[in-house]
Amino acid sequence: MRFLERIRDYIRISRVASISRRYFIMNAFDGAMTSLGIVVGAYVAGAPEPFFIISAGLGASLAMGLSGFVGAYVTEEAERTRELDSLERAMLQNLEQSVIGKASRFASVWTGAVDGLSPALSSILCLVPFFFSSLLSVELAIQLSIVIALFILFLLGAFLGKVSSRNMLLHGTKLLCVGLALTFLLLVFRTIY
Amino acid sequence: MIRRLVLDVLKPHNPGIVDLSKELSELDGVEGVNIITYEIDQKVENVKIILGGSNIDFKMVREKLESLGAVIHSVDEVAAGTRIVEEVGTPQDKSARL
Repeated sequence: MRFLERIRDYIRISRVASISRRYFIMNAFDGAMTSLGIVVGAYVAGAPEPFFIISAGLGASLAMGLSGFVGAYVTEEAERTRELDSLERAMLQNLEQSVIGKASRFASVWTGAVDGLSPALSSILCLVPFFFSSLLSVELAIQLSIVIALFILFLLGAFLGKVSSRNMLLHGTKLLCVGLALTFLLLVFRTIY
Repeated sequence: MIRRLVLDVLKPHNPGIVDLSKELSELDGVEGVNIITYEIDQKVENVKIILGGSNIDFKMVREKLESLGAVIHSVDEVAAGTRIVEEVGTPQDKSARL
């Protein structure tokens, strides 16, 4: 309990909530779109083999997760160190061991974790039907996977609507349309080639 | 036995004075806290902290403030003992101010 309180304090002091929200939406969106691209792409290519889709999807999730974590962590750490240095100059004292220094270090790890986990998780969620491909037909797994991806996109949009205190349904539909556009584009390719 | 302590403190904007007062009020021997901001700069602010209690541990207060990123500029008033003695005006105060 004390640990959770401390984390809440660090989030408040470092003001990391808004930036991690941005990272979360942006990267979960990337993750869902990537999986959608892989699934529909495999279908369009005429090779909807579950093993390949899972391998490609997990590979992409891992790459997005790792790159998200490292990228966000090093960027955030550099920015936070700069801010802390500037504050230390204003305070004329070292703040490394203060709650501000600790919150600053926590914020870097937190943003890295959000940036890494959000695309990886949203991407893996879209692949779940393929893990049950022995029970489901490949076509059904593809359809379910597309529905999950589109649903995730809708939820992310709705969440943005909630954050901005605007119409959740409208914002959800906007992101859903992006997913539908990608699916449509890939299906058009199929008819062309 | 310190009963009242008035401090002039320099602190960053975050944590705010609400958090600061809560943290200080949880210290042993502290029964009440009052914090007033009297100057705000771009990155830091100056606050006056008044602590009241039965047995305030100055070292603990200083360490708590430092752990929150604040620093004591000066100790402006201390009241210690079994009874709080208030400041009294004297003729010398006037001449000293002149």
